[in-house]
Amino acid sequence: MKRRAARSAAVLLAGALTLTGCSGGGSGGSAEGGTKSISYAVADPVTLNPGRQTIAFAQSKVLFSSLTFVKSDGTLTYLNAESVKSADAVHWTIKLRPDWTFHNGEKVTANSYVKAWSTVAYGPNAWENSGQLINIAGYDALNPAKGKPATTTLSGLKVVDDLTFTVTLKSPDGQFPTQLSQAQTGFFPLPEAAYADFDGFAHKPIGNGPFEMAGSYAENEPMTVKAYGNYQGPKPTVDEIVFKPYTDMTTAYTDVQANNTDILFVPAARMAQVKQDFGDRAYVFEGLGMSYLGLPLWDKRYADVRVRQAISMAIDRQAVSNVIYGGIWTPATALTPPGEPGTPVGLCGELCTFNPTKAKQLLADAGGFTGKMEIRYPGGSGLDDLYNAYANQLRQNLGIKDVTATPTTDFPEFQKLRNDKNLSGPYFSRWGALYASQQNTLRSFYTKAGGCVNCIPYYTDEVEQLLAKADAQVDPQKAIEGYVGVQKEILKDFPAPPMFFEKYTYATSDRIAKLAEGAGSLELENTAVAES
Amino acid sequence: MLRFTIRRVIELVLVFFGVTFAIYAAVWALPGDPISSLGGDQPLSPQVVERIRELYHLNDPLWSQYFRYIGNLLTGDLGVDFRGRSVAERLATRWPVTIRLAVTAWIIQVVIGVGLGLLAGLRKNTWIDRGVLIMTILVASVPIFVMAVTAQLVFGVKLSLVPIAGVNDGWPLSYLLPATVLAIYGLAAVARLTRGSVVDTMSSDFVRALWAKGLTRRRVIGIHVLRNSSIPVLTYLAIDLGALLGGAVVTEGIFNLPGVGQLLFESIRVHEGPTVVGIATALILIFLLTSVVVDLLNSLLDPRIRHD
Repeated sequence: MKRRAARSAAVLLAGALTLTGCSGGGSGGSAEGGTKSISYAVADPVTLNPGRQTIAFAQSKVLFSSLTFVKSDGTLTYLNAESVKSADAVHWTIKLRPDWTFHNGEKVTANSYVKAWSTVAYGPNAWENSGQLINIAGYDALNPAKGKPATTTLSGLKVVDDLTFTVTLKSPDGQFPTQLSQAQTGFFPLPEAAYADFDGFAHKPIGNGPFEMAGSYAENEPMTVKAYGNYQGPKPTVDEIVFKPYTDMTTAYTDVQANNTDILFVPAARMAQVKQDFGDRAYVFEGLGMSYLGLPLWDKRYADVRVRQAISMAIDRQAVSNVIYGGIWTPATALTPPGEPGTPVGLCGELCTFNPTKAKQLLADAGGFTGKMEIRYPGGSGLDDLYNAYANQLRQNLGIKDVTATPTTDFPEFQKLRNDKNLSGPYFSRWGALYASQQNTLRSFYTKAGGCVNCIPYYTDEVEQLLAKADAQVDPQKAIEGYVGVQKEILKDFPAPPMFFEKYTYATSDRIAKLAEGAGSLELENTAVAES
Repeated sequence: MLRFTIRRVIELVLVFFGVTFAIYAAVWALPGDPISSLGGDQPLSPQVVERIRELYHLNDPLWSQYFRYIGNLLTGDLGVDFRGRSVAERLATRWPVTIRLAVTAWIIQVVIGVGLGLLAGLRKNTWIDRGVLIMTILVASVPIFVMAVTAQLVFGVKLSLVPIAGVNDGWPLSYLLPATVLAIYGLAAVARLTRGSVVDTMSSDFVRALWAKGLTRRRVIGIHVLRNSSIPVLTYLAIDLGALLGGAVVTEGIFNLPGVGQLLFESIRVHEGPTVVGIATALILIFLLTSVVVDLLNSLLDPRIRHD
């Protein structure tokens, strides 16, 4: 009511000005007529095709259902799959749950997956999420170094019957079921209807998830999805979700404060104040992000392990987090985030504990540090405070006089400097895992094929072998032991200090009673709406 | 007049090619590969990166890419961005937003800025004059970012009068706050300029002669003073409209208005050459056109200014 009165007042105010070409129309996002509707602030998704999206995770997750699903406590459950089984971690049999349909009524069958995966992996399509399928047999044949591939299908996939298909991997991988979980959208199924017009599909996808498109997606316009009546999975608690695009998330933050939008992922720039501004409407969830301080292993001055350890021990992580992130990020004590099951919290021990005296001693033992220490990080990403804080800490606690933190103009420039090893000091390094397994973080950071462009290029044969051994375990517990072993091996060399376990922070309007935590995100579909 | 027009058109063509090439080269020279950062946090596989680079001819030399681009541009094809979206379509949805914002801000500047300037100029050295001076200096010295965020908190969060972000409430409601913030800076300049111009004209010989002839105040000020002091103000306002159309990057960003300024900023960040050049070309044309209009307008207002 308040809003409507305000609107007419403002229209009167503006009445003096006349201008043609007005566009009207309010936005959705309120609980009218018993519909439980929530709105979520997002970046413009660009495309909703799960094989291509890179920033539409939230939308993909409600429009589609993955084969497996990782819950917030890290346990792996089945969603669209009835089972994903293997005896040797190479040959996998996937059985689907019966009676699942896409939003157009088409049945979800083994072929919905097999054909989709071949399409995602097919080189000439150049779909962004193709890399997620790289370990399936036949991927290389679809991605030859030169020319057109001779085939269009992944040879490692076989349809057994309507609801069963088998997958053959290139190398044994016991984490395969976890890789099929909710954020690896390259593994999502596609309906037959998609193949006729992928452009149309990218704007109005037909998924197998709990929500279907209410209209179609247009750039920079709010997009509404509504509960799909025939959904066979767990019933969502809300009926409708409106995704509202913002280019500047600090603006979205203000908009949630004003109750114009319901939920947002709090940007780094607002984390220090979110608890003050929102009180119990601020939520801190476990993240799958891991923040490191990359070190230039190619520079002689960082060759001695004691120098690297000194840098780690010279930074008071908790103090940095308190000032910049309101204490929300927690100091890292392992090489993977705690959201990944079996992460050996505390493994890093003394090396990750603030101890300036010891740090100075270690640096002195290693022969000290000569010259300038130039920290680099990508500019325009809200990282300035963090890296300036690192610079201050290193200057004060290690006694290195000339420490600077300089942003690059943007992300592409940073990537280039890192790829060319054109950095002479510590640098930005982080990884946000898409599935909750230590494998994801370790593989991305510490294997050459991991392809992480801002990670530390520390690749050794021992680590590769230990990782492969852990990957080969079908038994989850044995796999975890293996990954912990990998971490111990890496810590011996201490290539770069782990800095923070990232937490994901959300804030809501007063129309939300409770947010549901998910693995490395929130479960938007299970939001509790406040009774009004 | 004809020779003037022809000269301007030739200038326009030369400036067009020079500037588009310069901008294309500048975007091209930005360090880093735009394609490998397309995946955001997640790395794209090398095969995918290579395919996309081929698709957009990014491995060709600069001149070849530029001529391919200009060739398409001359046939009316602005091309597609790295995500396969038509640049022309994206621009078409964004221009109306920017135009509404710019014109609204411009009208605020004209009405309030010229009004305050006249008031101050005609009441020279009174408290009104000084009040306007102090006010405009104060307002213009607040950084736009601070002004915008404060306005959002006060009018959007505390008072809930106007929306803070986006254009979903349509014109004028969605544009009130951003247009006002955007207008404030030019407004100070317009007011100062109008005041100065009015004061100059009032003290010029011909106005003194008019007073001496015994003309009414209404006639002297309403016709002679206004007309003669409007030339610098109009010139400024016309150029200002061009600047408003192209310079609302910060405002569009903070208020989440999907306009051209915002698109330009994003496109530069991700090294989206074709989009950047497309927007820049349009902005150049706007500037060139407004400057022609200003020249013509001036000669209409003041017969002493001739273009031959």
